Amino acid sequence: MPEPLRFHWSLSQAGQTFRRAQPREQHPGMPALADQVQLCRVAEQVGIESMLMAIGYTRPDPLVLSMAIGAQTGSIKFMIACRSGLISPTYFVQQVNTASTLLPDRICINMVCGHTPYELGYYGDFLEHDERYSRTAEFMAICRELWRRDGRVNFDGTYYRVENAWVDTPMISGTSRGPEVFLGGNSVQAEDLAIEYADCLWRFPDADDKLAVRVARVVASGTRVGLLVSLITRPTREAALDAASVLIAGFSAQTRVVHRDFAARSDSTGFRSVYAAAEDAATEWLTPTLWTGAVPYLGAPAIALVGSYEDVADAILGYHTMGVTQFLFMGWPDVEEVRHFGEGVLPLLGDAALVNRDGRAGARAAATR
Amino acid sequence: MSLAFHWRLPQGGERDGATRASQATRAETALPDLSAQVDFCRQAEQSGIDSVLVDLNVAKPDPIALATALAVRTQRVRFIVAVRSGLLSPTLFVQQINTLSALSKGRVSLNVVAGHSPAEQKSYGDFLSHGERYARTDEFLTICHGLWACAGGVTFSGRYLRIEDGRLNAPFVSPERSSPEIFVAGNSAESCGLAQKWGTCWMRLGDTPARVAESVAPVLAAGVAAGLRLSIISAPTRAEALRSAASVLDALDASRRDRATESAFVDRSDSVSIKQTYELAASEWLTDCLWAGAVRSHGATTLALVGAPDAVAAGIMEFARAGISHFILSGWPKLESMIFFGRHILPAIRTIESAGAC
Repeated sequence: MPEPLRFHWSLSQAGQTFRRAQPREQHPGMPALADQVQLCRVAEQVGIESMLMAIGYTRPDPLVLSMAIGAQTGSIKFMIACRSGLISPTYFVQQVNTASTLLPDRICINMVCGHTPYELGYYGDFLEHDERYSRTAEFMAICRELWRRDGRVNFDGTYYRVENAWVDTPMISGTSRGPEVFLGGNSVQAEDLAIEYADCLWRFPDADDKLAVRVARVVASGTRVGLLVSLITRPTREAALDAASVLIAGFSAQTRVVHRDFAARSDSTGFRSVYAAAEDAATEWLTPTLWTGAVPYLGAPAIALVGSYEDVADAILGYHTMGVTQFLFMGWPDVEEVRHFGEGVLPLLGDAALVNRDGRAGARAAATR
Repeated sequence: MSLAFHWRLPQGGERDGATRASQATRAETALPDLSAQVDFCRQAEQSGIDSVLVDLNVAKPDPIALATALAVRTQRVRFIVAVRSGLLSPTLFVQQINTLSALSKGRVSLNVVAGHSPAEQKSYGDFLSHGERYARTDEFLTICHGLWACAGGVTFSGRYLRIEDGRLNAPFVSPERSSPEIFVAGNSAESCGLAQKWGTCWMRLGDTPARVAESVAPVLAAGVAAGLRLSIISAPTRAEALRSAASVLDALDASRRDRATESAFVDRSDSVSIKQTYELAASEWLTDCLWAGAVRSHGATTLALVGAPDAVAAGIMEFARAGISHFILSGWPKLESMIFFGRHILPAIRTIESAGAC
C-alpha cells in the first residue's frame, strides 16, 4: 500500500475567486491579506498541510506574502513557488532558509519552469522550454549542495557558476537539512527532473490509463506523485453537478477567448494538453468524476474532481491505489470548498489519510521520509 | 526639513560591540532573533528613529524576508532593505519590494550596495569587478524605475541585463510615493554618480566634516540628499563616554587576532569606502569628538562620534552644516545606545534645529 495521503491547497484565488476568468493583465496584483489569512485558518483547521504560494507577474511575491500570512496563522505550511532564472541559487537558499527560521518547519518549495515565454521575458528569462529544465537542474544541484551544509560549494555549469559558495542561515525543516521539494510539470523533462531532485512531482490528472503509466514511472524511482486538481464536492452528486453548472453559467464566450489566447501563447506541456483535452474531447468527463467543463473558462488548473463526498473519496482512493499520494486543490470559492473537503470527504478516507485536524499532518508524514 | 535618523538593526545575538570577524562566525548572527528584533523596532519607534537598516551578506538572514516579518509586527518604523544587483532579476526584486510595501503601508526603502568582497560575490555567482558591478547596478535601477513608473511594459537591453515588455500587476504602495526612497551606499565616484542618477540619498561612511562637505557638494547640487553611516558612543559626561569607547577595545582578543582579521578583510575587499576608512583610522581622533579607534578591529562603520550628549549633538549639527541630512547610526550596547540617543541627544538636536542655529 502506498504511504498515507497528504493534502494541500492553493492560495491563489483567495479574495479573488474568479480571477482566472479575467485576462491576466487585469488580475489584481495586491495581496488580499484578510481573505488569504481566513482561507489559511480554515485550511489548517480541517487538516490541510500547506498552501501553494504561486509565482507570476500577476501576483504578489510568494515568499514575502508567506511571511505576512505566517504571522497570523498557527501551523499551516507555505509551499513557495520558485522559477530558476530569476534569482541566484545562493541567494534563493538564503531567502528560503531565512523564511524557515521565521516560520520554523513551515516552509517547503515548489519548483516550476514557467509556462509562457512572454511572461518569462518580463523577468529577463529568454530560454526555451527544454533549456529551462536544464537550467533548473543546475539550479537544484547547487541548492541541494548548499542545503547539505557540507563545506563550500563549487559549480561551473552552462547556466550557473558559483565559487566557494555558502549560506550561513540554516534551513529549519523538521528532520531534514533542506526543505521538502515539490516540482510542477507534465512533460517527460519535468518527470526526469523530479526523479532527480524533488520529493514530489505535481502534475495534472488525466484519463486513468494515461495517468497510471506516468505515475508508475515516477513512483518507481522513489519520487512521489501528487495531483494538481480543482474540487467541486457536495453532499450529493446532484448538488455537485448543480454547483458545477452554476460555476460556468456565469461566464461568457469572451471568457473562453482569454484561455484560448493563453493556451496559444503557452509552451507548457500540461497547460496545453489539458486545454486541448477540454476543447476537443467528445465528453467533458475524463473519468466519472474528472470534469474538464470549466477549463475553457478558468484554464487548465480548473480540471476538477466533481461529485458527492463519497464519489470524491472513492476517486481519491483510486488514485491512491495508482500510487498518487498527495493532492493540491482549488475551489470556487476556496473557503467553502475546503470546508466541504474537510468535513465531507476527509472523514471517509479513514486510515489512508494521515491528517491531524491541527494541520500537523505533514510533520508526521515528513518525518517518515 | 529636519534631520532624519535611522539605526542599523542588530543581528541575532548581537548586543555589545562585536568585531566584524567575530560577528561573521557566530551562529546567532545567521538566525533572526525575532522577539528581540521586534522589541528593537518598537523601541526605535519610541526613540524617534525613522527607519532601521536591515543589511545583507551571506552570514546574515535575508533582509527582505526579515524586514517583512518585522514590518507586520510594527506600526510606524520604516525598513531600509539592502540590495545588491546580480542576485536576482530586477523584476522579481521589484515584485518582492512592492509586495512588502503593500503589507507595510509603504514602510520600505532601499539601501543599494555594490558588494564589497569579491569572494562573497562569487559565492552568489557574481564574478564582475567593482566598476562593472556599478555599471550593472545602473542597469538594474533603470529597469526598477521603469517598473515603478507603471507606464506599460518595460523593455531594456543592456550589457548585463535584458527584459522584454516587463510588467507587474502589484504596484509600489505608499501614501506618499510611487517608488521607494533609495539610499545609494558607497564612497566611490561610481556610487556618487549612481546616487545622483537614481538615488534619493547618497549614503557614505564618515570622515571629517570638511572632507564630507567637499565630497557631497556635487550630490547636493544635483538635488539629491546626502547621508552618513556613523556610530555613537555617548554618556552623561565626556569622561564616561571615553571609558565606554575604551571598553570596546578592551573586549578585544588579547592576541590581536581581530585586528589581523580585519586587516586581511580590508586587503581582500574591493570597496573604496572600506579601504578609505581603514586608512583614515591611522589616527585615532579625526576631530576632538570623531573617533576612529575601533575601525581597524571592528570595521569601517564604527567610526564614531564620542562624547557627552551636547557634544555629540554639536558633532551631528556640524555634519548637518556640511550638507548631511540622513544618518544611519549604530552604537554599543545596541539597544541602550539607541534609547540614550532618543532620550538625551535627539532632543538637543531638535532644539538646535528649531532655534534655526543650523
